[in-house]
Amino acid sequence: MHFRRYLCTQTAAGNRRRHQWPVKKVIKSNFTQALAEIKDSIFNSDFVAISLQKTGGYSAPWQKILPIDTAETAYLKAKRAAERFQIFQFSVCPFSVKASKLIAHPYNFQLFPRDEFRVGMPSYSFSCQPSYLTSMAQEGFDFNACIYNGISYMSRVQESAGKVQRGNVLLNSCSLQSPSAFSVADSIFMERIKTRVKNWMNDCNDLHDKTEDSLINSLRKLVSRSEVYGSRPSLTIDVCSERQVQLTLEALKEFVNIVLLQAPAKAGVEAVQVILTSSEEDKNLLVKEFQDLEEEHGRVVRGFREVIDLISTSQRPVVVHNSLNDFAFIHSKFLAPLPLTMDEFSSSLLSVFPHILDVNHLMKEIGSFDKMNNLSSAISYLDRRFFASIDMEVSNQEETDRGNVHGHNVLRVCQLFVKLCSALKISVEIPEGGHTQLSAFLQRYSNMFCSSDATDPVNDDVRIWTGKSRTVRVNNLVFLWGFKGGISAQDLKDALCNSHEVFSDEFDVKMVDRTCAIVVFWTPGISESFLKIMDSGELLSSKLEDMVSEGLKAADYETYRRVCESGLWKPDLTECLDRAADETDILSGDRAQQEQSIICWNSDEMINLDEL
Amino acid sequence: MRNNYLVRALTRANSQTRTSQPARSLCSSASSADVALKNVTRSNFEVVLAELRRHVREADFVSIDLEMTGITSAPWRESFEFDRPDIQYLKVKDSAHKFAVVQFGVCPFRWDPHTTSFVANPHNFYIFPRQEITSDGVSYDFLCQTSSLEFLAKYQFDFNTCINEGISYLSRSQEEEALKRLDLVYKDELPDLSSNLRNGSDMQLVRMADILFAERMKNVVGEWRAGLLRSGNWGAESQGSWNDMNQKFQTTFYQTRPALEVNGLTSRQLKIIKSVTEKHFKDLAYVHVTGETSCRQPLIVYTDSTEDRELLKREVKACQRKTAELSIQAAIGFRHVIDLLSSERKLIVGHNCFLDIAHVYSKFIGPLPSTAEEFASAVRTYFPNIIDTKVLLNSDYTLLRIMKKGSTSLSKAFGLLCLLPVTLTSISTGVADKLRMKVEVQVDEQRFSNWNSGAKHEAGYDAFMTGCVFSHACSHLGIDFNSPAPGVDLLQNEKLQMYINHLYLSWVNGDTLDLKTGKSSSAGSSGSTMAKHWRTKFTFSNMILLWRLPAKLKAKDIRDCFSKAFGSGSVISVHHLDETAALVQFSKPELVSGFLELKDSLERENSPISVLHPLSTILETGRVRAATYEAYNEVCSSPLSEVLFSDQAEKIGVDGKAGLVKPSIDVDEDDDLYPSEAQLSR
Repeated sequence: MHFRRYLCTQTAAGNRRRHQWPVKKVIKSNFTQALAEIKDSIFNSDFVAISLQKTGGYSAPWQKILPIDTAETAYLKAKRAAERFQIFQFSVCPFSVKASKLIAHPYNFQLFPRDEFRVGMPSYSFSCQPSYLTSMAQEGFDFNACIYNGISYMSRVQESAGKVQRGNVLLNSCSLQSPSAFSVADSIFMERIKTRVKNWMNDCNDLHDKTEDSLINSLRKLVSRSEVYGSRPSLTIDVCSERQVQLTLEALKEFVNIVLLQAPAKAGVEAVQVILTSSEEDKNLLVKEFQDLEEEHGRVVRGFREVIDLISTSQRPVVVHNSLNDFAFIHSKFLAPLPLTMDEFSSSLLSVFPHILDVNHLMKEIGSFDKMNNLSSAISYLDRRFFASIDMEVSNQEETDRGNVHGHNVLRVCQLFVKLCSALKISVEIPEGGHTQLSAFLQRYSNMFCSSDATDPVNDDVRIWTGKSRTVRVNNLVFLWGFKGGISAQDLKDALCNSHEVFSDEFDVKMVDRTCAIVVFWTPGISESFLKIMDSGELLSSKLEDMVSEGLKAADYETYRRVCESGLWKPDLTECLDRAADETDILSGDRAQQEQSIICWNSDEMINLDEL
Repeated sequence: MRNNYLVRALTRANSQTRTSQPARSLCSSASSADVALKNVTRSNFEVVLAELRRHVREADFVSIDLEMTGITSAPWRESFEFDRPDIQYLKVKDSAHKFAVVQFGVCPFRWDPHTTSFVANPHNFYIFPRQEITSDGVSYDFLCQTSSLEFLAKYQFDFNTCINEGISYLSRSQEEEALKRLDLVYKDELPDLSSNLRNGSDMQLVRMADILFAERMKNVVGEWRAGLLRSGNWGAESQGSWNDMNQKFQTTFYQTRPALEVNGLTSRQLKIIKSVTEKHFKDLAYVHVTGETSCRQPLIVYTDSTEDRELLKREVKACQRKTAELSIQAAIGFRHVIDLLSSERKLIVGHNCFLDIAHVYSKFIGPLPSTAEEFASAVRTYFPNIIDTKVLLNSDYTLLRIMKKGSTSLSKAFGLLCLLPVTLTSISTGVADKLRMKVEVQVDEQRFSNWNSGAKHEAGYDAFMTGCVFSHACSHLGIDFNSPAPGVDLLQNEKLQMYINHLYLSWVNGDTLDLKTGKSSSAGSSGSTMAKHWRTKFTFSNMILLWRLPAKLKAKDIRDCFSKAFGSGSVISVHHLDETAALVQFSKPELVSGFLELKDSLERENSPISVLHPLSTILETGRVRAATYEAYNEVCSSPLSEVLFSDQAEKIGVDGKAGLVKPSIDVDEDDDLYPSEAQLSR
């Protein structure tokens, strides 16, 4: 939260200096109009930057993505967050760089998972983290606008689940396979339908000539169930099964000028509506009308997902600041439930968004950025180190709520991206017509999902931060818990130091949360012997034995990985580890050992107890 | 915000014109006004709390109402008529644990013998679980049910005010825990001190910049110390020029000791200063103190002796502890209101308030106990007297008649009892003037005899309505507030005795919980009039739970299937929990184990017999799981909330065979709890 507040003051100060950027705010009422606009903007731009405002990120300190996480556990944590929390604001900014000028079209879409169709979708419930909401409030976010008038949506999978009651379904065009064989009952049914429709059509044609008493007229309508659809006469035929719908279609094949609709089923009663048209053109007109209606209905169902689909079809590279977290959200809310593994996730995602550029990853290319996972500080760092002034032109002419500092993040992502590219000497000016091909250099950087912390090995001495970071294999890590509450990492290290000879070589201790610590053994192999000692209870020194009798427990990284996988997200890591460790005994470790898993050990970067 | 308020006021005004005819006849004095509800946020909380203390002390009863961010965390967690009381409690517990309270209405009612009317002081508190201090084990987030937020939005709930200005709180157990942690931090001073010392010297200076900085600091601090010792009387003029040179350092005093204030340095630089001070100057101490501005200020303090040094350390520690305690005190926030209600031991009135009380307990007292009995006894110690107006309305014949035996929702009860013209009610009851109950509303020292400005589903207004309904109900019960004794003791009133501390566990099946005994009673057994509304028809030990059912399998299909396998009449009823799970009630308890064994053997064999078996319609996929009713309890007690019941059961790993041996014991318990049920099943 410290970082958020910092961001907030930065932007407030920054805004006074820079101009007020007009960002278009989109809610339910102006969504259709904005959709048309953004479609043009996306297809006329070279890149699309996105940024999300979420209702939360984690439910307990250890559930944050930490430096001790491998790509896999980081994904599992991101998955957990995406499934629990909600997006309240989705910012999209199509942009291009032309003649060293950044041309941006920013939009802020307010989202709310309103159940528009009473089907329990898109989301029955969601979680909120008070600190996230509070900092959003400080930035001037309007929760009333969001909850009252936010745009709803439905994911691709949810839409195809077909729970949403559709309106009238056009039967003419759809090709229901005709039943292969007809029983006697079927034939009688079909004959009856045929006669009924024939009589009704004749009546309709006759009516043009005769004028009738209104009472008789309405009685006739009542008896024949003849109604009017718009200006055209229509007839409703009740059916009681899907098969009867097919039979009706089959029976009415010979009539040319009718349009058949399947009305939405009400309390189990299905019906086919027959509408009489006057000519072929009239029929086509009506069919078109219904198709438009269906289209419109689909648009309402998809809601904000239209924008996601637009970005996807445009094939523009998507620029994002924290790709793992944000795309986990996007995948789970707009595409499909998140798969179990990182690999499935990336392949599923890349089929929809082929080019994803993570600004965080580009920053690592410059070096020195682990601590800079905050947009404003990264920008000001770049300003200091590289002379790269970027003019920005924001093309929305709409009036916006001025004075609000929220919702500018997406513009900052654009800015940072362009600055980084210029610092890295990557050209982002794409010539006319060359859209689908990313420059080879950018291609290299695309689709690298990195959580902000799980870094790849870099030289120690180029870091601007003082801490030294070293990579460490995960099987050199041991989780420890069951020690006295409120103890500091240093005290724990001291206590361990003299307790047993396995601690005579170099090792480090960090707290993961209040009740659980992680120990890194710098000499390979020691972690295994330590775990063996803890497991068997043999070779315990008296000091270690005391600690064990007071409840000290240890587990390997695999146990932690299983905790993340199991979906047991309790507030204390120890509880989860305890349970998972119990299960290990049963499983007797038949699982194949992890491939080359390394994490980056940074002595400074662990959770500071004082901050908790 | 302004706009919203206007909208609300307008809708209020509209609805008022509709009801104004009868309403006006009720009020004696003509003054009617649309005064805003007393909204309480962080900014005016302190002031309002002081007033509220007085109001509550004088009150005869206090009505409450809560607005939450949701009710059920999954569709199958809704209340069903086939829920046993222990399961009803588990569902309420889950709800109170997961959702947040966003608004809390408190309305003290006081009988004014001069005007012979009740005086109400409605308060509408916006609350928000902003975590002022962090604590262990408490989850960082709360749940929102989408439909509940839509509901709140429909009634123009102001989310911005709630999040920006809502009052936060700390439960008793959170406070205790925070204080305990303080103890841990500030208890063992000596080992802590030594480790601090060692850490400081341990710090290795590797980078050139650090070494240079450390060297310079050593000089600066040494110079300052030398200056002190030279001049002897800590105020020499050399001090002034020295300060100019080093704007980052300033000489001040800490508790009569001369000290050097360090400003505007990074935490790393401070670490170096700390290490330098501890390494090179035995009579200087590096400490963090909390000034009036309550931010931590690093100081280098000069001490005369080692004893003085120890003393200083202790002083600083004590001071730090004090501030930490103060911040915990400050974080209590809205709980002061709950503590007030509890300590005054007033009669608490709510409408269908079991969930409300559960929320109050879980938010402001501590984690909810695991059974309804424990909950009842725990609540009793904090709130000895609670009345549920919904129970009241459904138990008394006179009131039921006024309610026309229809729904007993709060707004309807308010409309019928409190707003209808007196003539109408007096005809039906035969006692005219005595029944006319006047309620005056006091907002900010102003009194209104006809007050209508609160919006429906605004907690403060709902609390007011609840109190009005209660006071009118009392007068219908024949409670005379005008008795010669000043102030009616509602708590001792025998006419009310039978209703006090009876709450609806679940409205759906009419089960109530007696807070005095902790026993839940089904609708049939207690309360004479309620028996007609509900009939207990469930024998839980005859029930099995099925999950992972094939999609689109209807209750009728399941019943047919079982009838074929066990004979017609073997199945009494089938109830769907959601699309993936159902409960089947057999006619005989033997059939439960019979079915479970049969299912087991059918699935094991997978022979032609099992394919042709009538149960294959249900079991064909081989995925379907079955268990006794106890498994339902197990699923509900899990903290998880998957949307589909089957997912939930699978995730927590309910064992299909669990509870197979249990039924015989459970039958006894059930018979004990539900005498009516035993009769029915005979």
